[in-house]
Amino acid sequence: MHELTPGKQTQGRVGRVIQVLRASVFLTSKLFFADPQWLIPNIIAPFIFTLVAFFLFSGQTSGSSFLLYLVLGSGLMGMWGTTIYASANSIGFDRWNGTMESTLAAPIPLSWIALGRVLFNTLQGVLNAVFILVIGLVWFRVGFTLVNPPAFFFASIMTFLSLSAFGLLMTTILLLSRKGGFITNSMEIPVYIATGTMFPVILLPVVYLPFAFMLAPTWGIEAIRLAALPGYVGLPTTYTVDMTIMVAETFAYLALAFFLFKRVEAYAKKMGTLEEY
Amino acid sequence: MKSTDGKSGLLSADSRLQMAWRVFRGAFFFGRKGLIIWDSWDMWVMQIFITPIAQIGFFAFLSVYLKYPSSVTQFIVIGNALQSMSFSAVFAVANITSQDKWQGTLPSTLVTPANRMALFIGRAWFQVLLSALIAAAGLLYAGTVFGVSFAQADFAGVALVVILTSVAMISFGLLISAVGLYMRTALIVANIFLFVTLLLSGVNFPVSELPVWLQPVAWVIPLTYGTEAVRMAISGASLQALLPVLGWEALDGLVVLIVGFSLFSAFESLSRKTGRFEEY
Repeated sequence: MHELTPGKQTQGRVGRVIQVLRASVFLTSKLFFADPQWLIPNIIAPFIFTLVAFFLFSGQTSGSSFLLYLVLGSGLMGMWGTTIYASANSIGFDRWNGTMESTLAAPIPLSWIALGRVLFNTLQGVLNAVFILVIGLVWFRVGFTLVNPPAFFFASIMTFLSLSAFGLLMTTILLLSRKGGFITNSMEIPVYIATGTMFPVILLPVVYLPFAFMLAPTWGIEAIRLAALPGYVGLPTTYTVDMTIMVAETFAYLALAFFLFKRVEAYAKKMGTLEEY
Repeated sequence: MKSTDGKSGLLSADSRLQMAWRVFRGAFFFGRKGLIIWDSWDMWVMQIFITPIAQIGFFAFLSVYLKYPSSVTQFIVIGNALQSMSFSAVFAVANITSQDKWQGTLPSTLVTPANRMALFIGRAWFQVLLSALIAAAGLLYAGTVFGVSFAQADFAGVALVVILTSVAMISFGLLISAVGLYMRTALIVANIFLFVTLLLSGVNFPVSELPVWLQPVAWVIPLTYGTEAVRMAISGASLQALLPVLGWEALDGLVVLIVGFSLFSAFESLSRKTGRFEEY
């Protein structure tokens, strides 16, 4: 018989958190590649949306700038779709797989496990955006000339982080609901609209704008477009303003998510009904 | 027994029909009750009232942003209003067999001596009503929010198109559901089909704008006939003028249903032979 040996002990709270994040990201990646459903949000959905948009755009506009606008929008839609879908289901999968109890019983707050999952899911969204970019470069022959490449990549990374923070908040909100998958399916297109993935949010009715402005990726998308597209006209803000608001909202999401997670996890443990259908 | 045909002891055709009707009715009510996850008022509101306006809004805003004339935007709005039923008509129906697998009810369903066709169609029938309601909500938004004019519309024609398209699209859902009996899950195929309809079915632009080699594929999808017919009905075409398009849509739906049922039967017999009903 093999002797059971304790796992590598990592000292300190920060070390433990990093260990959990790493394990959570690793396990989520294994589940991701084991299940072919990853094809849907990553390749199929954004590819079709891009094609539809391309047909619509091609009838009215020409030029590489517009094509780049289209490709960026589609990539962001893909990132959004993946983040929302995967985040809402990150705890839902535990319910289906019967691993909810083991996950909750782990000696680490659930929020860190969820954050690891959300980070990988958003990274998956980035992969999606890269797929779209490749489709754009190869199929639609989009020129990839950026106004300010460093600003573009910085805005892209920060938007990635803001999506992760939003995903974590979504996970918390949907933790107690078994309807997470359905709610996120219904939310997908409204958030595409609210964040101006395909058209500037300024086109939206005024009542919709406060909701749009509360979403950090709205500002991230604006910043990305300002850094990528020559002569882009969107919201009356600058790159710096967009980035500042996005970072502030991202921190607000994280603070709220961790606060809610603590409450929800304690409630779930007390009631013992998290897995109940 | 009166219900048998005497010597053979087999059920008479009349009794078989009655039993099939009973199975259909039971499957219909079970199909409704089986929607436990959605069965609350907020889920219904979201599915019937939020989904269509979000989808229509997305493509309508895109059209406005691209400065298309209002006729093009209205074309897009009407197409998406009808297409918004697909989530219920195709996606929900396609997942019936997959849900049986997840919930462990597939063997019990397949060992019943019930008429398969009645069972197959009955479980999906509730979605016909739901899909028609979603499309109706979509068309209501088209008129009230997005400025589509219904002044010339033949409402009986519009209603007929909506109901027929719901039925025909359910056939596609059932076809995918049959594939889901064989595959681990029907989710992927259902999703692909759902998105493909946005591209191929004349929802956002006319089928004639697609590459020539892709156009025949578009006409295999019942929704393509539906979007054409609903636009005709809204612009005032009479029922008589709609009949050829609706006839093709009905025929298409029927062929798809027969193919779907044949696949279901084939996969059922295969899974009985191999004993791998639920294997992942």
